[in-house]
Amino acid sequence: MNGQAMWNPWREMQRLQRDMEHVFGEAVPAARWSLTGEYPPLNLTRDDKGITLEALCPGVDRPSLDISVVGDAVTIRGERKAELDAAEERYSRRERPLGTFTRTVGVGEQLDPDRTQATYSNGILRVQLARAPEAAPKKIPIQS
Amino acid sequence: MATMTTTPTTTTAQPPTRRQTAERAMPTVAPPVDIFETDKAYVLLADMPGVRPDGLDVLAERDELVIRGRVERPAIAPAYQEFELADYHRAFTLTEDLDTAGITAALKDGLLRVEIPKSPRVQPKKIPVRTE
Repeated sequence: MNGQAMWNPWREMQRLQRDMEHVFGEAVPAARWSLTGEYPPLNLTRDDKGITLEALCPGVDRPSLDISVVGDAVTIRGERKAELDAAEERYSRRERPLGTFTRTVGVGEQLDPDRTQATYSNGILRVQLARAPEAAPKKIPIQS
Repeated sequence: MATMTTTPTTTTAQPPTRRQTAERAMPTVAPPVDIFETDKAYVLLADMPGVRPDGLDVLAERDELVIRGRVERPAIAPAYQEFELADYHRAFTLTEDLDTAGITAALKDGLLRVEIPKSPRVQPKKIPVRTE
């Protein structure tokens, strides 16, 4: 396994495993993937009210979630931590990437940071972004 | 910085697996799992984002553990898309030294945690040391 590979959950998850798998008796697990590359994967929808960004990031430590909006850019930060009772040498399977992640995307429209809302449910972070009010044309008086 | 201003692209879509081609109407994926051992149990963690508690099934029958999750697909297609939710399915064989009657499962923030207690006879116990 290439530990430097960009994390793409679908590459892993689309690998269907209908065959029975054994819970233990596995070979020594490969090094855990880290959250390098573009994580989390994002979907974006636009409508009249604004822009909705959805990030697929299950099991994130909630206090670590951080969202910031600057200009047209949204940055999402968070951390997926190991379970407290998991000792490093007692894994028989390690497929879930852990670690901290940061991802910044530009949505192509100026945003109003003060009207950003976010929810995190069922492992999906949903960020509601509001467009910045369009700059009204300013009439410039001509001095005589 | 990545940009998402471009029109929808297909470059992020993965080619369908054989299985998905056959079951296009209901795509199913295997969730990535961690399995680790504690003194008293085996713990299985599975990433199943999009699954609500009422959409989750954890079944232990004889020597088989099956995890299944159903997701709701969005009504409108995203303007830009990097992931597509799919139902989850994965099955494991349990060996005899596990207490299937005592299995517990919890789902939090799309992370499933299943604990499978070891049978009392395989839990650590103090072994008397014999001197010869």
